[in-house]
Parts: sequence; structure tokens; C-alpha cells
Amino acid sequence: MPIAAGLKVLVVDDQNSVRQMTRMTLEQIGVRHIHEAENGVRAMDTASVQPLDLIISDYNMPEMDGLGLLRAVRGHPSARRIPFILVTGRGDRELVVKAAQAGANNYVVKPFTADILRSKIEQVVGKLS
Amino acid sequence: MSGFDQLKQTFFEECSEALQQIESGLTDLREGHGSDDTINAVFRSVHSVKGGAGIFGFEDLIGFAHVFETVLDAMRGGKLGATPDIVDVLLPANDVLTDLIGMTRAGEPIPPGHGSESRAALERLLGQDAGGVGSDGEGPAAADFEGLDFMPIRADAFDDPLAQDASDGRQTYAIVFRPNADMLRRANEPLYLLRELRKLGDLDLTAETDQLPALAEIEPDRAYLGWTGKLKTTAQRAQIEEIFEFVAGECELSIAPAETYPLPEAVVAPASAAPIPDVTVSITATAPLAEHEAPSLVPRLAPENPEPAAAARPTAVKPAATTMRVEVEKIDRVVNMVGELVISQAMLGQIVHNLPEDVSSRLAQVLDEVILHTRELKDSVMSMRAQAIGAVFQRMPRLVRELAAKTGKKVHLEMHGETTEVDRSIIERLGDPLTHIIRNSIDHGIEAPGQRAAAGKPEEGTIRLSAEHRGGRIVVEVRDDGGGIDPERVLRKARERGLVSADANLSEDEINNLIFLPGFSTAETVSDISGRGVGMDVVRRNIQDVGGRISLKSERGRGMTLTLALPLTLAVMDGMVIKVGGETYVLPMSAIVECLRPARADIHNLMGGRGMLRLRGNLVPLVHLGDILDLGLAADESDERVVIITDAGDGARFGMIVDELCGHQQVVVKSMEESYGAVPGVAGATILGNGRVALILDVEKLSDLAISQTAAFGAGRLGVEAVAATVMS
Repeated sequence: MPIAAGLKVLVVDDQNSVRQMTRMTLEQIGVRHIHEAENGVRAMDTASVQPLDLIISDYNMPEMDGLGLLRAVRGHPSARRIPFILVTGRGDRELVVKAAQAGANNYVVKPFTADILRSKIEQVVGKLS
Repeated sequence: MSGFDQLKQTFFEECSEALQQIESGLTDLREGHGSDDTINAVFRSVHSVKGGAGIFGFEDLIGFAHVFETVLDAMRGGKLGATPDIVDVLLPANDVLTDLIGMTRAGEPIPPGHGSESRAALERLLGQDAGGVGSDGEGPAAADFEGLDFMPIRADAFDDPLAQDASDGRQTYAIVFRPNADMLRRANEPLYLLRELRKLGDLDLTAETDQLPALAEIEPDRAYLGWTGKLKTTAQRAQIEEIFEFVAGECELSIAPAETYPLPEAVVAPASAAPIPDVTVSITATAPLAEHEAPSLVPRLAPENPEPAAAARPTAVKPAATTMRVEVEKIDRVVNMVGELVISQAMLGQIVHNLPEDVSSRLAQVLDEVILHTRELKDSVMSMRAQAIGAVFQRMPRLVRELAAKTGKKVHLEMHGETTEVDRSIIERLGDPLTHIIRNSIDHGIEAPGQRAAAGKPEEGTIRLSAEHRGGRIVVEVRDDGGGIDPERVLRKARERGLVSADANLSEDEINNLIFLPGFSTAETVSDISGRGVGMDVVRRNIQDVGGRISLKSERGRGMTLTLALPLTLAVMDGMVIKVGGETYVLPMSAIVECLRPARADIHNLMGGRGMLRLRGNLVPLVHLGDILDLGLAADESDERVVIITDAGDGARFGMIVDELCGHQQVVVKSMEESYGAVPGVAGATILGNGRVALILDVEKLSDLAISQTAAFGAGRLGVEAVAATVMS
């Protein structure tokens, strides 16, 4: 059973406010190791050098969007096994389908509560303790 | 402030940026220079507003942003075209969004039905009846999409996802291309080759910048860059090799089949659009690639062979700008501290100056360095506060379009120098005057199309808005090719209003400058564009308040040019320290034209104790600074007096008699208005090197004071010139 405090999570969003909000939510769940990136390109830099247990990425970003990042991660020799949760807006069903096809482990709809995020993470990495 | 409130603050700051992006994107679309990227960027900005609003629970904002976003999404998907009609619905929608954000930020309740008109217009575009779109966006947030068949994938059950990229008939090649150092000299351009390569399929290249020397050592015609990466293509290897046919002997080239993996689409930036990256960024970008280089790749060159590399721009990796958000207050605090440092340094200078020479010489050397560094520190801090003037300019195209439509005139706006950087405090105060000047140009300057055609001009009038750095100032120019100023009408108006005496003999330039006088407005009918009340005098006041000057050139029938010369910053300025009657003052260097010690014979005394100075054949009115400031000094008849010729900003010069010039110094401007209110003739105060406080004088207001003190100087500053003209004759 993974321990929340031991999870290394990368939060990707171009909006600082949303990133901080996600960070706060993760901290409520008990996650302590949180990296941040403001777009797909930066996230790839982090993902390729940093051991990560999970990437939580927004879809809409300049430079490289969430799907682009997902594809890049899946195509990267050392990063391709990192679990990936895509954050989508309300009403974006098509995107979720695309994300599934591109190899996302899960998705979460914005805005989300700590409980929702926790269950979404647990569906991917197993029950947290 | 709680963490949550701070986040909200951050969100609203992001909203301001988003709104700007939306506005400028829509403006581009309206003018027909938009592209798919523009629509995408606008969509993304609206989407960000909506997303953040969702997180913070701003329901009104979410509802509106959702409809707005849906329209943009339809444009993205090609269901709606980016036609002017549609953009004309989107521009007001952005206004509503701006309002909603403003009200939300201020914590004001949003009046019911606010923006409903714009919302209805948006919904009409979507061909949906009112409320149809909103329901989805405004419904309670669902954590999952109902009925969606998405099975979360457990990480430990994770199979190699690459298997699914089985085959679409495309083969991935690992490409290494390192031009020899002299390839450019043989007129081969690697960029073209890379562009050709990109046409074959998905290209993902990383530039090798490790051979790139320091900027100063770069030889422009020597190739330093190399590229490695992958090409996913249906093309045969021979086709790829064909591209490099002409440079075969001039580069290191390897094209080999590589292990397949899906390419990140967004990484492949068009070669032509990729900016020259920050070197550090590119180097980090190279690192991960090295890990998965296929074994067939040619080993990297040894460092002692500095030959690989090539020209201009690396292709594939578009570097993310390395920026960081800092609160303005924090930077302001640094600016303040730098100000204090400038003062301490001046004090130190004073002390060193007073020491015996054997002690001071070494100290002076060190002090020189400190001065140098302080100056650099000041410049870098100021550049942090600097913003591109485009932030103000970008509001103008819309203004011009709307005014042109209202007046039935045809107007084209040209903008230049949008990237010119100006201190934030000045940017904030530039919007209103510029808007007003442009309103005036369209309302009074540019003629109706028929009138223009009759005058042999193109029907479409042109307003050219430009900004540039010139001589330590920012010069903003608004030029139109309209009718210019009609001096006769202006003079008539000015006489009617008693602004000039009936017999004043004024040059055309002087007449043109009358429009800056308070209470002057030539519009015979008050239009709802230029309006009444805010005249050019207010524009001039606004510009002067930020330490700038405004001047005007008009050519009858050909148009006019308004030039705003603005300081780079408001916090620190170049000053001339002077002494009068034992008191020390500072005059802004920007207002000083020259300093001289005139011969007695050149000074002509007039009635009222004033004088005129003959200066290279011209007469310049003279005033005693001590008199204007009412220091109660006896008239100084000695030959030792110094005259400072100043320019109050409107071209009218006058000489100020002072006792002594103490030198040029950078001074930190401290406002006195908070403690003392506005004192006529005083712009602020500063602390000098000796620790004493000195007042900074406002030359413009001093000249007003001088005029009001002497009836003999006639009505207004122009009267002064008129007296001069009389003396001359």
C-alpha cells in the first residue's frame, strides 16, 4: 500500500493559481513531494530527470498541451511508465476519450475536492495510507 | 491574507493577463491578421478564466465564460468563421468578461442580467436558444462524466503502452546532422535543409549548442550548431538522403532506423518560427535525448574537434520562456532601497571628497566602482519594472475602429515600436492621454472620405502611433495625415475666449500651441467622441505629471504630429543641483537647455526689474529664481551670475538667474504631496549627499509663477514671447 507522504507528484498547469490550488489539495491528502511545471515542455524536462510516481496535468496549456505531454511521456524511454491523470474542464467528454486512447490512467474534472482527487489517485496507484 | 485569498489574488492577476491576450487576439482577428493560433490562444485564455473561476466558485463568471468559450471552440473547430461580424460579437463579450472579473475581484454583487445582451448574442451565434448552452457549464460539477466508459488504469497493471503504436506504415529514423564549420561559407543554409526534412513527416530535433562560443567570439559565417533527433515518416531513406545531397561532403550525417515511439506533436515547432533559444534551455533539452540515442548513431565528436555545428536557428525545441511572477510591491521595495543606496553613496562621496588627498585617492577609486555598480543595479531594477508599451497600444486599434465607424471616416492605424519598454508607473498613466489624442485626431484631424478625395488624398486616413527610445527618454509619437490645425480658427477662438490679447503677434507655431491652454476647444459642436471638458490642456497636464513633455507640429492640410517625450522612470532622475540665496535646489536635467554666464552687455533690463538676454541673436526672457520663489533677496548686480536656459516643455524658453551651479547628480524623487499637498513650483524633494533635503523644482510651474507675478509679461507665456518680439523690433 503506497503511503501518500511518499508519493512524488508532478502538477502541470499554466495557471499558477490552479497549480497552487491543486498543491493545497494534494497536501490535504497527505502528499509531501510535489513538483510543478507550467506547461508540457517544462513538465517533460522534469519528468525525464526526476523520479515521479504520478503526473497530474491540465489539458489546456500553451507550448504543449496535456495530451501532447501525455504522448511525450508515453514516448519517453525513462518516463513512459509514470501514471498520468488528466485534468479536464466540465463538459469535455471527447477529451477524456482521446486521453484514454493516448494512455491516460485516469481523468479528473475541474473543480475537484480533496476526496475526489484522492479517489482518482487511489484508482491509479492503489489505496493510500 | 490567508493562503486561499492569496490564491484568489493570483487568479485575478492571471485573469488580467488573459483579458489582455483575448483583447489583442480578437483585435488581430478583427483586422484579418489572425490565424488558427490566434483563435487557440484566445480560446485558451477564456478557458483559463473559466477553469480558475470554477475552482474558486465564481458562478456568474463560469456561466458567461462558458458560453464565450463555446463560441471560440466552434471557431476553432471551423464551425464558425473568424469573420468581422462574429468578432464584433466577441469584443463586447470580452468587455462583459472584464466587468464580471472586475466586480468579482472587488467583491461586488453582480447585477442580475448583467451582460445578458452579449450573452444572447453569443448564443445566437451558436444557433441555440437562450439557456441551451449554459446548462452544461452551470450545472453542478460532476466528478465523472456519466455513461462514459473510462476504466482507470492501475499503474502496476501498466503494460508497455508503446505497443499500441504498432504501425501506421511510418518508420522512425534517428537523424544526426552536424554541419562542418565552413558549410555556411559555401552558401549552404542548414535551416532550408531542416525545413525540407520537416516536410517529410513528424520531425523532432534537438539542437546541440555545446560548440557555441561566447557571443563575443562568434564568427557570423561559421557553423556552430548540430542537430540530433527523430523523423517519423512514410518516406524512404533515399528520399531523406536526397535532401542532404548537396552538402554530403560538408557535414557529418547519419540517418538510421530507430526504435519507434509516438512523437510529441507540440514539440515540433515550425523551423521558421522557432526563436533563438536561451542556451541553457537547449542544453538541458539535449540531455534527455542522449539517453535514448540509438546505438547506430555516430558517437558524438570529441571536444578537440570543434567542427560540427551550423547556422542560425535550432529547429525543434521551442524553449519555454524562463519567467517568474513577482509582486510589484516587492520590486518597488527594491527600487526604494536602490534609491536609499544612491543617497548613501552620494553621502559617502561627499565624505571622501572632504578627506585629505592621500587618504581619499584610493577610496575614491573604490567609490567610483560603487557608483558604477549602483547605477547598474538601478538600471536592472528599473528594467524589471519595465513593460512593453504595447500594453497601452493594443487598446488603440479597437478605439480607432469604433470611432471611425461612428464618424463615418476611414481610418487606418499603424503601430510601431510596441516592444519599447517603459516603466510600469508611466505605462499606467499613458493610456488616457493617448486615447484622447487619438480621439482628437479622428474627430478633428482626419477628414471625411469625400473631403479627402477632393483634396487629392487617399480616402483612408492614416494614424501612425510609434514609440522609441531616444536620448534617454521614451518618445511616443502620434501622427495623422488629416487636415492639421487651422491657425486662423484657433486664433479666433483664443481671442474670443480672452486667452490672448487682440493685438498679440503670434507665429503659427505659437498659435498651434494655444490648443494646450486650459479652456480651449475648437470643436464648434461638441461631439460625443472628443466630448467637452477634457481638452488638450488635460492631456498636457497628464503627460507633465509623469515628468514628460508634449509638443506639436502641424502642417495645414497635411496633418499633425504630437510628440510625447517621457522619462524612463519616475523614481530616480537626473538633476542639476543649484544654489540661490544660500538655499540648494534641484532642477530636472530634462528641462535644462543650457547653462551660461552671460556678459553684462547681453542683458537688457526692462520695466519691472525683469530683463531679456540676447542669446545668439534671439531674445530670451530672464527671471531671478530668487524672485519667483520669493526668497526676499536683494537684486544681484554682480557679473558672477549664472543663467540657466530652461525649456518648460512647450518650446517656450526662458532664462533663470541663479547664484551657483553645484553639479549634476542622480537624485531620488520623494513626493511631498502626501505631507504638504501640492506646492506650486515644487515637484518633490530629495536628500543630497550631505544629508540635507533639497526641493526639486518644477520648471513648467515656475514659468507660470513668473508670468503671473509680473503684469508686464502680458497674458500667458505667449505674451512673454510677444514682448520679446517687440524688443527685437
